[in-house]
Amino acid sequence: MFNDARTRSIVIQCVLVAAVVGAAALLVTTTFTNLQTRGIPIGFDFLSMPSRIVISEAILSYKSRDPYYWAIVVGLANTVFVSALVIVFSSVLGLVVGVTRLSSNPLAAGTCRVWVEIARNSPPIVLLIFLYSLWWKVLPPVADALRPLPGVFASMRGLMVPSVHISLATAGVVLIIVAGMLFLAPRLAGSLRNFRPALNWATVAVLLLGLWFADATVSMDWPVFAGSNFQGGLELTPELSTILIGLTIYTTGFIAEIVRGGVLSVGSGQWDAGRSVGLSRSKILRLIVIPQMLRVIVPPLNSQYINVVKNSTLAIAVGYPDFFAVMNTIISKSSHSIEGVFIILGVYLALNLTLSSAANWYNRRIAIVER
Amino acid sequence: MPSQASLRQAARLLFGSPLNAALTLAFGAMLAVALPPMLRWLVLDAVLFNPDPAACRAASGACWSFIYVKSGQLLFGIYPVEERWRPALVCLLILALLGWSVRPASWTPRLLGLWISALALIVWMMGGGLGLEEVPTSAWGGLPVTLILTVVAIGIAFPVGILLALARRSTMPAVRIAAVVTIESVRGLPLLSILFVASIMLPLFLPEALLPDKFVRALVALTIFAAAYLAEVIRGGLQAIPRGQYEAAAALGLPFWRTQYRVILPQAIRVVIPALANTIIVMIKNTSLVLVVGLFDLISSGKAALADPAWPSPAAETFLFIGGIFFALSFSFARFADFLERRSPVAR
Repeated sequence: MFNDARTRSIVIQCVLVAAVVGAAALLVTTTFTNLQTRGIPIGFDFLSMPSRIVISEAILSYKSRDPYYWAIVVGLANTVFVSALVIVFSSVLGLVVGVTRLSSNPLAAGTCRVWVEIARNSPPIVLLIFLYSLWWKVLPPVADALRPLPGVFASMRGLMVPSVHISLATAGVVLIIVAGMLFLAPRLAGSLRNFRPALNWATVAVLLLGLWFADATVSMDWPVFAGSNFQGGLELTPELSTILIGLTIYTTGFIAEIVRGGVLSVGSGQWDAGRSVGLSRSKILRLIVIPQMLRVIVPPLNSQYINVVKNSTLAIAVGYPDFFAVMNTIISKSSHSIEGVFIILGVYLALNLTLSSAANWYNRRIAIVER
Repeated sequence: MPSQASLRQAARLLFGSPLNAALTLAFGAMLAVALPPMLRWLVLDAVLFNPDPAACRAASGACWSFIYVKSGQLLFGIYPVEERWRPALVCLLILALLGWSVRPASWTPRLLGLWISALALIVWMMGGGLGLEEVPTSAWGGLPVTLILTVVAIGIAFPVGILLALARRSTMPAVRIAAVVTIESVRGLPLLSILFVASIMLPLFLPEALLPDKFVRALVALTIFAAAYLAEVIRGGLQAIPRGQYEAAAALGLPFWRTQYRVILPQAIRVVIPALANTIIVMIKNTSLVLVVGLFDLISSGKAALADPAWPSPAAETFLFIGGIFFALSFSFARFADFLERRSPVAR
């Protein structure tokens, strides 16, 4: 009987399903008995109770009277904030470093190679702890803060950067118009194929007009040193600065390698072919090389972006209250560990699925359509 | 004395075109600003061997003598001082075995037996019993913990990953779904949260009698994590094998497992050596995260050593040292992977 492939496959699957169900049942029953013997209540009611936990810094406003669910949202906002900034910075830097590594200039290529090797071969948590330990050793007190760039101050107390204030109406108008154009563009593109540049200019015009009607206010707030402290601008604490700088250095190393691989993947024959049909250098780059390169680099880039979200949990090593750190505090404070773990697992799965489905959508758009 | 030709060559590389000249100037300026203070701190103003903490307080450079004096504590953590020769021997044994295993000539089934007996020896050396003083896993620390976790987690994760990859490509829907759910949920989570579940949640999930100790829990979490990533890499390799290979094996009458072991896997794994090496490097680095669940790895022993009030707490030097150890491990592994890749070019 066991020699028949179909019977065998059915038996194997039945055994597997029985094993999974049995293990799950064992887990659930022991969990409940364990919880009962320790007198731990279960349920998500605790979320609306005041948390009384301390969140040292947050981009949303938070007071310790606020309920648990708001503490979770505040932590999540910190995670999204850190991940988004790191993704933007390391993509730009990764592009520069990756292309520079291909340069024939040994000084430039060598420096970039050192960066890449350090990033790829050291654990991010050691990098973060190292940078954090440097903060007070290297940087001066507030009074003689360094000024690496105009409007940016670095001191023991953290980084001061200019902040941009955008009124809610402005943000709304931009969002609506951009969404509208994203919706319209593919539908118009077919009939307006020869008017692509005109379409782009029209978008800009509509955007400006809309902003003018909405009485848009966008203002820069520059930090100024006044007396004993800074006024204005955005303050990034040493913890936040460390995690931003450390994760950016780390991720840049990986993105640089992806970019380098992408550039190398487009053979030199493609350039020759472009030149032989009389295309200009910029057109070869835009029409031939970059589309083929994107196809190679988008999938690994996507997994790097997901890694950034996952690596942002390392904020716990320097004491920045990201989502994971906040959940950790909540779990130890409220003893609702099961619920807490489910929230952690659910949120990270949701974040990563969102990122990868966005990337898959983009990937489908740039994929070469084969007959 | 460099010849004129090589000088001209260097000049052409550095200043050959306007872009090159600009790059040279920009990077030269950057290095000129950054390197001298770094060099002063690292070497010129540093305290190298003077084991007196006062010398470190007085110096403006790095305090390397701290690393030198505390090396035992940094490398072996809270392991009993008079027994430190045991973890030291274990580290040497693991590194020697790794060095031995790198030679393609030693890749025989005997190597697996060698590793398994070495592992038994390591567990005995670290844990004691049978004539040696017993040391509980909670007192294990530093480099041996990092090395054992890395080697054992990857060693177990590799066959598990192969099984998961095969299961994901199985024609049996229940098997496939179980593999997909396992792989994707593990890959969707940060390792920190998996370690956290393993160390804090397992006591709730499991009956007291079945509960493994903290070291084993962290090891299980690392293994599951590594297995999910390795499975995806290996699946990539399996997908690259043309169907003709399966058909040829079937025509010879090879059963399923022998087909995989003799025909498919050797080819599939060779295709994905670079990706496997990257995953393994990530795992070497990932073992540093066990500090978060209270295992005494290199970082924790560094932090413990820094707590000594007699010294001016040279944190940057300590973490540079620890980072250097990890760098040495993963960089040499990366070079080994390069060598493997060059040695067995994929047949086309």
